[in-house]
Amino acid sequence: MKASRLLKVALLCSLTVTFGFAVNGSFSSAESATAAKETKVAAVTTKKSDKAETKLDPNDPSSVIYLDTSGKPAGLGDSSKPPSMAYKAGQGWHPQALSATGLPKDRYGLIDWAKIVRENIVKPKPSLDAAEEEMPPLKMDVLIPAKGDFVNDVIYPHEMHTYWLKCEVCHPGIFVPAKGSNPMSMVEIAQGKWCGRCHGKVAFPLTDCNRCHTSPKQKAGK
Amino acid sequence: MLKRLIIASAIVIAIPAASWAGIGDIRLESKIASMKKAGVGPVVFPHDRHEKSIKCAECHPKIFKDKRGANDISMKFNMEGKFCGSPNCHNSPRTFPLYQCASCHTGVGAAK
Repeated sequence: MKASRLLKVALLCSLTVTFGFAVNGSFSSAESATAAKETKVAAVTTKKSDKAETKLDPNDPSSVIYLDTSGKPAGLGDSSKPPSMAYKAGQGWHPQALSATGLPKDRYGLIDWAKIVRENIVKPKPSLDAAEEEMPPLKMDVLIPAKGDFVNDVIYPHEMHTYWLKCEVCHPGIFVPAKGSNPMSMVEIAQGKWCGRCHGKVAFPLTDCNRCHTSPKQKAGK
Repeated sequence: MLKRLIIASAIVIAIPAASWAGIGDIRLESKIASMKKAGVGPVVFPHDRHEKSIKCAECHPKIFKDKRGANDISMKFNMEGKFCGSPNCHNSPRTFPLYQCASCHTGVGAAK
C-alpha cells in the first residue's frame, strides 16, 4: 500500500520536473531568438508604420474593435487583392466591439451621436470621394413653436444636422427651406413624416420628447 | 343589535364598491382650446382598462389625486415624467409612448 503511494508521488514529481524543464528550455531558447530578431522587426515596423497602424494593445479593452468576429485582426489585408474571408468576417455585426468603443450613450442606451461630435470623439471624412470638399456646419438655430399652449417650443439646431448631413438630404424634399412654411405636427412626425423621417429610425427616438422640446412657453406655467 | 351591525357593515362595504363601479371612461377636455390648435381632440381615459393591469395605489394618490378636475394634466408635465408620463407608465417600455397621439387623443388628424 505504502509502496504504491510512494511510487505515485515519485512519478508526479518527475513529471512536473521534466515538464517545467521543457517549458523553461523553450522560453530561454525563444528569448535568444527574439533578441536576435528584434533589430530586424524594428526595421520592418518603421517601414510599415506609414502604411497601416495596428492598434492592438492587450491592455486596452477597446482594441477589440480591430478584431473580426472570429477574434483575428481585421482589415489588414492587401487592398489590391479581392477581399479575403477574414475581411468579410470583419464586416459582420460585432456587438462586443461596439460596446468596447466606449461611445457615449443616451438614457435609452443608444449611441449619442451629437455628444460624440461635441466631444470630438470621432473625425469622419467628409465623403468617400476624396475630391469632395468639406462643407462647414451651418450655425443657425430655428425656433419651431409647438402648436399647443402647454408644450415647450422646439429649437432646431442646423449645426448638429449639417455636421452629419448635406443640405440636400432635407431640403427641399422633406422641408421647404423657408420659416413657417412647413405644416409639421407631432401626429405626422409619429407617422414618419418631417422629423420622423429620421428620428425614431436612424436618429434618436421620439420618446425623448425634451431633447427637442427645450424652449419653455410663457403660458406653460410652473 | 346584530341586525344593525349587519346593515352597518353592508353600508360600509357597499359605499366604496358603488363609487368604484361607475368610473368607466373619463373625458379630459379642460385644455380643449390648446388641443384644437395642436390638431387633436379630447382624451378619453379608459379607467376600467387601467384597473385591470394596475393596482389603485400605483397611481392614487401619488400620481393622480383621486378627484375629478384636481389634476392639472398637460403634455408638458407628461413629457417631464409626471401624470401619464410617469417613469413606469407612458414613458417606459411597459406601454405605448407619449408620441403616439392617437392612442389617447380622439379626433386626431380630423381638425386641420
